[in-house]
Amino acid sequence: MNVAFTIALVILLIAAAIVSSRAIRRGTIGDRAVAIDGLTALITCGLLIAAGLTGNSTFLDLALVLGLLAFLTSVTVARFIERRGL
Amino acid sequence: MNTFFDVVSAVLIIAGATVALIAAIGVVALRDARSAMHAAAKPASLGVLLCGSGAVLQLDDLSSVSKLVVVVIIQFVTAPVGAHMLSHGVSSDTDSSDDTYN
Repeated sequence: MNVAFTIALVILLIAAAIVSSRAIRRGTIGDRAVAIDGLTALITCGLLIAAGLTGNSTFLDLALVLGLLAFLTSVTVARFIERRGL
Repeated sequence: MNTFFDVVSAVLIIAGATVALIAAIGVVALRDARSAMHAAAKPASLGVLLCGSGAVLQLDDLSSVSKLVVVVIIQFVTAPVGAHMLSHGVSSDTDSSDDTYN
């Protein structure tokens, strides 16, 4: 059982590395915002898996806060791009 | 019965991680920011749903289960709205003004 959760966490780590390579490499601010928006979804998945693996409900609090902050971040960055015309 | 829940939970969580990996490959492979958003918006709802329903089978107390349900519902409500706002901002930038679907 723990093996499956660990495999899923390793897969998510590889996915996060791939997504953050786009956030580092590509040019425009829109590309980076999209990549970071995807990265927060991957981190939320990882926190849910960690909650299932350990049975510790603190990870669920973290996932809740991260989900709300990710929404706030993407809306703020989107309005910033729109306002500035970047 | 416990082994059955373990197997179902493992399958759901591996499926969610695989969806996330495919979406990450799509984010890098697709060139335009809006095309990459098409790939990036999938694990925000489907991956979180699969990982959450895999993890909920491992939790035993009611407070954890209800908290996890709230996490998944909030993710389902906010992820499409955030992606829509981001696409609205990205489509108004000057770099993609030569696209065909602008």
